[in-house]
Amino acid sequence: MATRLGDVLRALPAKLRLEGEAKLAIEIAHHRLAVTGVLFLLAFSVVALRLVDVTVLKEGHEPRLAHLPRAAGLDIERADIVDRNGELLATSLSTASLYANPKMVSDPADAAAKLVRAIPGLEAKEIAARLGSDRSFVWIKRNLTPRQQYAVNRLGIPGLFFQPEERRVYPHGSLVAHIVGYTGIDNHGLAGIEQSMEERLRSSNEPLQLSIDIRFQHIVREELARAVEEFQAIGGAGIVLDVATGEVLALVSLPDFDPNSPGTAEGDARFNRVSLGTYEMGSIFKIFTAAVALDSGTVTLRDGYDATQPIKISRFTISDFHPQRRFLTVPEIFMHSSNIGAAKMAVDVGTQRQREFLGRVGLLRPASIELPEVGAPLVPSPWREINTMTIAFGHGISVSPMQVATATAAVIDGGVMRPSTILKRADGAPVPSQRVVSARTSEQMRRLMRLVVERGTGKPASVPGYLVGGKTGTAEKIVNGRYAKNARISSFVGAFPMNAPRFVILTMLDEPKGSKATFGFATGGWVAAPAVGRLVARLAPIAGIGLVDENAPELREQMFINAAVR
Amino acid sequence: MPLLFATPRGDLTILGKLRQVNWGLILLIAVVSSIGFAMLYSAAGGRWDPWASRQMYRFGVGFVLLLVVAVVDLRVWYRFAYALYFVALVLLVAVEVAGRIGMGAQRWLDVGFLQLQPSELMKISLVLVLARWFHGLTLEDVGRPLSLVWPTVLVLAPAVLVAKQPDLGSALLLLLMSAIVYFVAGVRLWKFAAIAATAGAVIPLAWNHLRDYQKQRVLTFLNPENDPLGSGYHIIQSKIALGSGGMWGKGFMQGTQSHLQFLPEKQTDFIFTMLSEEWGFVGGLTLIGLYVLILLYGAAISLRARSQFGRLVAVGIVSSFYIYAFINIAMVMGMLPVVGEPLPLVSYGGTAMMTLLIGFGMLINVYVHRDLQIGRHGQTPEA
Repeated sequence: MATRLGDVLRALPAKLRLEGEAKLAIEIAHHRLAVTGVLFLLAFSVVALRLVDVTVLKEGHEPRLAHLPRAAGLDIERADIVDRNGELLATSLSTASLYANPKMVSDPADAAAKLVRAIPGLEAKEIAARLGSDRSFVWIKRNLTPRQQYAVNRLGIPGLFFQPEERRVYPHGSLVAHIVGYTGIDNHGLAGIEQSMEERLRSSNEPLQLSIDIRFQHIVREELARAVEEFQAIGGAGIVLDVATGEVLALVSLPDFDPNSPGTAEGDARFNRVSLGTYEMGSIFKIFTAAVALDSGTVTLRDGYDATQPIKISRFTISDFHPQRRFLTVPEIFMHSSNIGAAKMAVDVGTQRQREFLGRVGLLRPASIELPEVGAPLVPSPWREINTMTIAFGHGISVSPMQVATATAAVIDGGVMRPSTILKRADGAPVPSQRVVSARTSEQMRRLMRLVVERGTGKPASVPGYLVGGKTGTAEKIVNGRYAKNARISSFVGAFPMNAPRFVILTMLDEPKGSKATFGFATGGWVAAPAVGRLVARLAPIAGIGLVDENAPELREQMFINAAVR
Repeated sequence: MPLLFATPRGDLTILGKLRQVNWGLILLIAVVSSIGFAMLYSAAGGRWDPWASRQMYRFGVGFVLLLVVAVVDLRVWYRFAYALYFVALVLLVAVEVAGRIGMGAQRWLDVGFLQLQPSELMKISLVLVLARWFHGLTLEDVGRPLSLVWPTVLVLAPAVLVAKQPDLGSALLLLLMSAIVYFVAGVRLWKFAAIAATAGAVIPLAWNHLRDYQKQRVLTFLNPENDPLGSGYHIIQSKIALGSGGMWGKGFMQGTQSHLQFLPEKQTDFIFTMLSEEWGFVGGLTLIGLYVLILLYGAAISLRARSQFGRLVAVGIVSSFYIYAFINIAMVMGMLPVVGEPLPLVSYGGTAMMTLLIGFGMLINVYVHRDLQIGRHGQTPEA
């Protein structure tokens, strides 16, 4: 259009043409200005639309990546360890270890000074010496934190290198110390499951599932620690065993340590009192004495023995702690924990049968749990009649608390022995089992153990509604070759509910001291039984075991003992 | 210096000119700049240091320059157009020879008391010389291809120098701005078509002359998800920030993308993203609206100017401003490759702020002298 107008203009007279041309120029300018402006506005509209897109329509909300940056599957050296519910007990953390090639380090003194600033805790002189050696490999520091690794990287010292490594981490710290154990600086298991399951942990990345229930473990540790503190014991042990499967649900040995830094453990903190320590367990052994006597038919619940006089045999005297000085029935022997009665009962059973039976319930061989810290029992050899008599009330034989718990479970659960394990059994998998006493004997033993808590030495373990049963045990420790009056092993092995036991609970205190509350007594019934009572009260709700009316006729009948008991 | 402040009708004093100044436009500029101050205050985590305070100081200095530039007689700018242009060109050459390397590109000239960016000076002086050249041509002259040779040399010389620095963004801005001035000056449309066709043919050749990082930017623009942690990082983080702002934004100083340092260059090139994250779609649209208002003011001033020189100066200045804004906003939203142009009046940066305010001074000058008539050769026609 412009050119056509131009042609028209050219035909006009000169002056007019000049003015017309100027007007045309302005017109074109205005015209094109408007076009430019509209184009600008259009472009801005596109931008505004795009703004709607990216802000309101959330176009950019999440980065839509062609390849999701997924972390490559971790190729870890050791598999995780988890509890029966999958709670993490031990896991691996990738770290870097710092090493140097001294031949490539130009100024060892300067490098050492810088390193000491980057990694606190290093000794400048020592590092300088290492860096100045004529070897071609020296470790500087193992397992750096990411911050330390960053700091070392920033130093930019040539000749320093990182070796990717793994470090074991135990999120629950000392809570499961004696179970999982710990690893050394080379990531090899040195104790506990870490050691015994070394191959399994290295061969598969699947987490290793233990039978432990961390909730039970926590409660047992708390109550045991409370008892240890209250009675100023030097240590303690606690076990919760699933009677039906032989699975260990909680295993606590005090004192314990932090497996994240096992080197800082003090004294005997790394000593496992549950399975490695063996002790004369005292009257708890009357469970086995009564069981074998009832099972072999040498006595019935109505029979009894004269306990008026201590037994004198060669240079020993066997007397009662709670002397009744009368004829006692079997239930009374059990309830009052009469050593005289038990010894006489064992003599009737005979050495051979006693030894056979103790062997059957696993008391003469190391506990079966999968820990490297398993102590072998101390068994008399030769096994004479005097040994038979002392073993009847738990002296002259040393076994671990783990063995006792397992054997007790066998006696009360229908008389079937199941090897205990610390690994979770697959659901529905058959549990290896072996009959040790008849079902009838087992039932009688349940009544006897219930009697102890209901009326005997184990009363403090009673928790109304849970039908707790058990047996106390107190043994004097041998110090320098003789029995010490004030160093005891006080323990209690209990089970509940006694009409159909689900759990066996054992607590043991090493050298407890009596307190005002216990009138100075430090026996199993005074110090260990209350802890079991508290454990029952706390564990039963978690396990889903409801309260029962202990005086209900059918329960009374189940727990009834048809004999004179007073 | 009677000429320097001579008045359009010979009866306006400096005070009179100041009264003529387009205060509405100045208010708009101040509002946009204030948005910038607020964003810089937020970018520094709620502190005036280090950005907001300095930006305000520069705005103050620039504002005085704006007023001075605005009241100087338009014919003075007409007269000194070439002088300014050649000074800028010499400085560009000097940068090429002795420039300081800043951020990997030679853009800055250290002249002792201040660091000069000659490409910025060139943006204004090129507008002046082009306006002056086309002012001297009749419409018929404009139609002759030969008359376009000289201005094209004037455009290409600095464009090539700037591109060599390398500052591709500024070079493109010079070319686009010149094209718009050509267009408004009345250059025939078929010539634009021819240039566009030539450019299309040259692009594959030019590709080989781009630096690696420039190629990378273009490739990244085409698919930012190619390299999400490398060259695509900026734009992906920017889009996440925009998206997370939503309709009303997260609130002032509440932008997580920017305050947690996910968003790079948040105080300069990506300040629009930060604004949209904190004030949402509404905030972003408001800023665009303010830019449109400035654009309309500029268009109105250009339309109202009686001299071709004034008209083209206004067109050139407003176009530069617009292209800045468009490139930056389109860039942070992933519509253009990341070329590193600031958001005018908002981004932190002293030279850009100065250039813009001087440019707006020029625009207001055109308004103040809107009725001034300038002859073909710069003489004042008898009334």
